[in-house]
Amino acid sequence: MLQVRNLSKFFGGLAAISDLDFDILNSEILGVIGPNGAGKTTLFNVISGFYTPTRGRVIFDSHDITGLKAHQVAHVGISRTFQASNLFMSLSVLDNIFTCHHMSYRTSIWKRFLHTPSAIEEERRLRGKALEILEFMGLDPLKDELAGRLTHGQQKALGLCMALATDPKLLLLDEPVTGMNPVEIQTMLNLIGRIRSRGVTIAIVEHNMQAVMNLCDRIIVLNHGQKIAEGSHKEIIENQEVIEAYLGKDEES
Amino acid sequence: MVTQNWKYKTKNFRYRKLITFIGLVLIFVGLPFIVHSPYYIHLLIIAGMNAILAMTFIMILRTGLISLGIAAFWGIGAYASAAFVMKGEVSFWLALPAATVITGLISWAVGYLLVRNPGFGFLILTAVIGMLISLVFGNISWLGGFTGIEYISPPNPIDISFLAPILFISKIPYYFLMLGLFLLVLISFWALYHSSTGRAWMAIGLNPHLAESIGVNVFRYRLIAFVIASAVAGLEGSFYAHYIGSINPNAFNIFKTINIHIYAILGGTGSVFLGPIIGTLIMTFVPESLRIAKEIEPILTGALLILLIIFLPGGILSLFNLRHRHSEGTAGITRAIKKSFLLIGKKQKETHAPS
Repeated sequence: MLQVRNLSKFFGGLAAISDLDFDILNSEILGVIGPNGAGKTTLFNVISGFYTPTRGRVIFDSHDITGLKAHQVAHVGISRTFQASNLFMSLSVLDNIFTCHHMSYRTSIWKRFLHTPSAIEEERRLRGKALEILEFMGLDPLKDELAGRLTHGQQKALGLCMALATDPKLLLLDEPVTGMNPVEIQTMLNLIGRIRSRGVTIAIVEHNMQAVMNLCDRIIVLNHGQKIAEGSHKEIIENQEVIEAYLGKDEES
Repeated sequence: MVTQNWKYKTKNFRYRKLITFIGLVLIFVGLPFIVHSPYYIHLLIIAGMNAILAMTFIMILRTGLISLGIAAFWGIGAYASAAFVMKGEVSFWLALPAATVITGLISWAVGYLLVRNPGFGFLILTAVIGMLISLVFGNISWLGGFTGIEYISPPNPIDISFLAPILFISKIPYYFLMLGLFLLVLISFWALYHSSTGRAWMAIGLNPHLAESIGVNVFRYRLIAFVIASAVAGLEGSFYAHYIGSINPNAFNIFKTINIHIYAILGGTGSVFLGPIIGTLIMTFVPESLRIAKEIEPILTGALLILLIIFLPGGILSLFNLRHRHSEGTAGITRAIKKSFLLIGKKQKETHAPS
């Protein structure tokens, strides 16, 4: 579904990502892990168009999307969530999701102004769709609450709803369970699983190992911007290089 | 059940708004038949124009940009229209839309370069335009240099076969022309704010990164807001030139822009229409009715602005606790300024991406 080839991103002389190669397969959950500063978030920012890569290619569904702007990447069907809660804080939960229908909204200014039947119909259809997503994610009791008043866990779930509202084929989740308590984490993992069962491919950057191991079909490990391991969680746990990256090298051995 | 209740409430609310709107329009239509003093009619005309300029400021502010060049585009519209009528011998009724289109085109060219640098860059670059415009006009001798253009002919009379021709001699026809333009702008802005364009603006103003990631072309929608706002300022400029009858470069300097900002902030930037209208009416009529000497007026406006920002950052509307959908008050402005300063010295492109 997504192929990353020889991808590099330099900040000045510093290589945040260097010569990275990996694939995301259709309807899998791919985990991207690595120590702090390994280039995980930079990778997501490059794929989603917030950064332009220095070198390399990103190919999505056999279209080259390298160097597209963030809004263009959204149009080809890649949606993302952010590490920090990134919502329209002063809007209600429902309006947050409604705003995310920007790409599928078709009514022209004058039709909207005159309240033609087609305009009302589209408004009703999109509102229904927003409600359906909220129900699917279990947030519908909060639909009239302001986004800024939700708890951290609810805000993260809302961020996920909003990413889902753009009808993505590939969903990039940047630390979806960070800062949550165990109950919230479990809810979130269930939600992510349910999104996958809708046929959406998912890539996750996460520090919570337990969550990654439970959820992901495949894992890649980054360190200093390079891929040091790839495979199922069993292979990753036993990989010597990964252990060294996380725990440091044993001097005496 | 709950949803139905909610729908019912909003529908009712919409009709109440519509009725209030029609009532207000009728009051303003009837006003010149009650108020006979041409002086107060004049003040109303100027207030209407300033209110629209304040609305254009808010339209740009909604997308997270502060423009200090509103008066410059107002001036471009005024000069374009005056040049059409005086040099090109064109009818005012053609010059008015032509001036609007020309201002729109110029603002598109300028905006195409400026809107790419949101924050501090945009603020300073528009300020430069705002300061340079009087010098530019002043140094074009074809446009009258620093003395400007005088004796601009009033709009051509409107001939309607079965009525006496409407001549633009007294203030009354100007008043109704202004009212017409005001309603035109008001309705177009309302339609824009409630369309997908308005929603995209709101998304950009609230959170540009998130807006981008849900597929909003931030640059494009900011440019649209900038061009529409500037073109409307040009429209008002064209009206102004023919109403006052003479223009000179100093009328369009940056202090005019700052006054426009004050009208909007006084009323409350959380509202797109009511705030600018209330702010402008107050700033027009209160100093006049107190008969304040012209010399100390700038001092008072300055003091008023400082007091407002300290004690009433949401503007006058925030006193009524209007729970407006976009209500953010001047918090938006302070945030935009803060962001602008944080961006100095950093590479724009890199600071753009979220963590």
